[in-house]
Amino acid sequence: VSEKLHAALRSIVGADFVKPMVESSGDIAAAIASDFFRVSPRTPAEVSEVIATCAAHRTAVHPEGSGRRPTTHGRDRDRVFISTRRLDQIVQLDETSLLVHAQAGVTGTRLQEILGPRNLSLGDYPPSVLAPSLGGIIAVRTPGKSSARHGFIEDAVVGVSAVLANGRAVHTRVAPRRATGPDLLRALCGSEGTIGFITSVVMRIHRQPEARFATAYLLPSVDAAIASVYLALREEAAPSGIRIYDLAETAAHFRGLPIVDQLAAKSKSGALMTVGTAGPTDLAACDRDLVASAVRAEGGEDGDHEVAKIWWRRLHHGETTPASPPTFQVMATPRKLAAVYRNVLDAATAAGASARAHVSRFDADGAIVFFSILRGTATLSVDTTDVHDNALVELCKRTATEAGGWLPGAHGLRFAPYLASLHAELDPLGIMNPGAL
Amino acid sequence: LPALFAAQPRIHPQPRAAPRRIPRYKLGSLPAPKIDRAPIRAPQFSLARASFVVMASPVVDVDQLAKALYGLLGHKRVSFSEIDRDTYARDMWPRMLLARRAGKPEALRPHAVVWPETVGEVVSIVKLAVRLRIPIIPYGGGSGVCGGVVPVLGGITIDTKRMQSLRSVHSDELMCDVEAGLSGERFERELARRGYTFGHFPSSIYCSTVGGWLATRAAGQLSTKYGKVEDRVAGLTVVTGRGEVIETDGPHRALRGPNWTQLIVGSEGTLGIITSARLRVAPAPQIAIYRGFEVDNVNVGIDAIRRVLQRGLRPAVVRLYDELDTLLNSFSHKVADDNHLNHSMAPQPTRQDGALPHWPSSPPPPDGVIEKLRMFAKNRVGNLRRDAMLGGLGHASAFNRVADTVSSKLAKRGCRVIIGLEGARIRTEVEAALTFAELEAAGARDMGEQPGLSWLSHRYAVSYKMSSMFRDGAFVDTMEVASRWDNLPELYESVRAAIGRHAVVMAHFSHAYADGCSIYFSFAATAPAGDLHAAERLYDAIWNDGLAAATRVGGTISHHHGVGLLKASHMANEHREAMAIYRAAKASLDPAGIMNPGKMGLDAHIADASIAIRSPTPTEAPARFPLDEAKP
Repeated sequence: VSEKLHAALRSIVGADFVKPMVESSGDIAAAIASDFFRVSPRTPAEVSEVIATCAAHRTAVHPEGSGRRPTTHGRDRDRVFISTRRLDQIVQLDETSLLVHAQAGVTGTRLQEILGPRNLSLGDYPPSVLAPSLGGIIAVRTPGKSSARHGFIEDAVVGVSAVLANGRAVHTRVAPRRATGPDLLRALCGSEGTIGFITSVVMRIHRQPEARFATAYLLPSVDAAIASVYLALREEAAPSGIRIYDLAETAAHFRGLPIVDQLAAKSKSGALMTVGTAGPTDLAACDRDLVASAVRAEGGEDGDHEVAKIWWRRLHHGETTPASPPTFQVMATPRKLAAVYRNVLDAATAAGASARAHVSRFDADGAIVFFSILRGTATLSVDTTDVHDNALVELCKRTATEAGGWLPGAHGLRFAPYLASLHAELDPLGIMNPGAL
Repeated sequence: LPALFAAQPRIHPQPRAAPRRIPRYKLGSLPAPKIDRAPIRAPQFSLARASFVVMASPVVDVDQLAKALYGLLGHKRVSFSEIDRDTYARDMWPRMLLARRAGKPEALRPHAVVWPETVGEVVSIVKLAVRLRIPIIPYGGGSGVCGGVVPVLGGITIDTKRMQSLRSVHSDELMCDVEAGLSGERFERELARRGYTFGHFPSSIYCSTVGGWLATRAAGQLSTKYGKVEDRVAGLTVVTGRGEVIETDGPHRALRGPNWTQLIVGSEGTLGIITSARLRVAPAPQIAIYRGFEVDNVNVGIDAIRRVLQRGLRPAVVRLYDELDTLLNSFSHKVADDNHLNHSMAPQPTRQDGALPHWPSSPPPPDGVIEKLRMFAKNRVGNLRRDAMLGGLGHASAFNRVADTVSSKLAKRGCRVIIGLEGARIRTEVEAALTFAELEAAGARDMGEQPGLSWLSHRYAVSYKMSSMFRDGAFVDTMEVASRWDNLPELYESVRAAIGRHAVVMAHFSHAYADGCSIYFSFAATAPAGDLHAAERLYDAIWNDGLAAATRVGGTISHHHGVGLLKASHMANEHREAMAIYRAAKASLDPAGIMNPGKMGLDAHIADASIAIRSPTPTEAPARFPLDEAKP
């Protein structure tokens, strides 16, 4: 980065907030990028100025949220990383409309902490979804950012402010719904910073529910458990969380608890289902009972509801899970869920290994199956360097997609030419997070 | 570009531009306004002008066009006839009905109308249009109220109604695949037959298509439960302005990148033609519960329905009528005991009809003496009513003031609220109990089932009252704006005041969400008899003032009717700098600029200027048209 640009950036945000990347991060990628700079603007106006200045110098700008994704950009061109770390203000909390306007650097978790004492919440999204900064949550689309009760998190976004490649700020109009042309904020959501740098977000929030129930059920099979979920959803139950564990997964997650033996005694292919419902007390109880009767219709029975409470505490209150992280995850529509599960298990067994799984994050599109592929008792990592293990994981992934599942992070290749010309229009110099999409 | 960048000063947020006052929609015989080809406000950077072609009036060789179209579709599904070109010249935009009433010929007509049956045919038509550089105008049911299908530069109007099959219903995924030209009524009946509902019941359901709903982001009467159409779409098949097919189907949330479905939904044909869609369906409701409530005033009512929605309850119907609307409602329902005669053309659903009503049986033939006397009396009363109405509308602001006083004094019962819930039996019953309790806690008084059922049976009737108003010399229209709860009362007051300067205005609040609500203003006005231009000026003034007021207080200018020509010049104020993204999408999907030009504020000067009557060019000479002789 040229000295001239460096000086210009320092004059915009102050010398303390233009730092070489290597200082604040010790990882390899950052070391390669030792002469890249991280700029931490304080206000959207500063973001505008930084981007306009970088555009004048034809320097690439890369948004950086909570910085959990590794930066692996080459040295083929000058790059400036714009951190949202200091964009950490709540602009407005509208308790009448239940909307919060927060800057992009606020993490979902932090926002939950701010909303909590006011008896408000972003919704029953899994904490892992809310861990990154708000800008990162909505700029990167991955499946599973959803809850059966509150829908997809991108649908909770009602307004976005962003800075385009020319440094101009855009603010989409905040309204509950519109019929004024395409939904322009949906171009920014999921665009990974290639269309605009998101500076703030207006999101729907919810009052904390009056009541919560957590229940556990034992079912004869994973298929029956999936069927009972959709039976209950058809009766319009809206649980705040649902998870289905197969027997091996139950043993891994609830080691030493009587529920494992109870399930094993019931069936070798049995499944444990944990369900949380929430809302006005009557409605939460209604949802709980709808799920219970759907379970019975599929040949299931009540389990120890304490297990469901453990699950909920682990999910939302930071208790640790004994099981190792899953190897990979696959999204599938309701029709394909059971087939994806079964085929991957069969493929792993046929390859002389084994697999276990849990199904979670049910929403209108389907659900996500989290597979753990095991060689002996060791769970394989998706990044395994062992050639045989890697081939096994790839085989399982391929089996999953052949059965109709979707691996996260796939690109919509058929849109590539349209996306390219969209970028050519909005970012003729190609400075906005090049290489991201 | 680098020079531009180098010269660029530090950028600060721009002050909001004042609403642009320009003469619009010269649909009549007024002289053509000057064409302002400069962009509205040229910013420092080129994003104000995306690189799609802004069409000028095309020079169309009709012979060449006819030969090509006949080659593609044969003779039966292509028309150059006068009557078809007149028919497809407009939709139900009230401003164009004014000219129609005055006997003006259609000023802007397509060069040709075609009825493709497959996606492949649509592709070839679009490719032809790109090659000949003439516009394409997608056309569904023609029920739009914003002039979205007006062929401002002529071109080929593609009627989608021959693409009308409900291909499949995936019961385990609660999805269906449906072609864009299927009429709303048939779509809903087909689903009902299989035990499902789409839950989308606009009052135009008998004359609108699935594609039209998607193109305009439409809403149905039960949208509070089922959502607007954009909430129910999982994917689209679209023929873009490049003449290519893209499918946005599939679990698109698993794909990285922008949400193309949501970028195309609502684009009103400016980016491409929607040929089919994958939509979410719901099991047909097992139970429906309707109830009427009354509240002291509008603000109490707003607060009550906000509490219901924010408690996580999802009634299907929520309607709050303001004082005047409540008064007229109760008046018309009480006085008109012969309602079935008043709305003899309107379908009157009963509870037993299920999702959709059947058409009413025709009224008994007026052959008896008593019947004749009855009709005579009715006409006399009708004339008196008409005279009173025109007198009232002629002094709109005075009428509004009097109505305010009268309605607030006489209608001491306040404002009416209609609540309806439907769905799965158990959960709906629980939700109904919670909803009614919440309303009562907020100060609403339960009026029992009757007002709810009364609304249910008249819910399609309102559009059928329009023609009698037009016949009697007045005009009516509706403006649907929306905002968050926070500034909803302000939106109501300011838009009502803005319209009220010109017209008699009333409103109801419907389509409620946890974060806000839509307000549906109905207004009626009249201009001196026979003066078309005065009526058009009045119409424009109402809309300009109303929409400017909505924008000023932070509301959106349209909740579900769309933009079309009517609101095109307000798009810049609605989206401000974000229009750059829309323009870029246009350049990406329709670089030749052939898709529905002049709409949505993308190429505003076309809407402003090109609408002046063009004298027929020699190539449009009707004698050369291959009309009937071309038919096999």
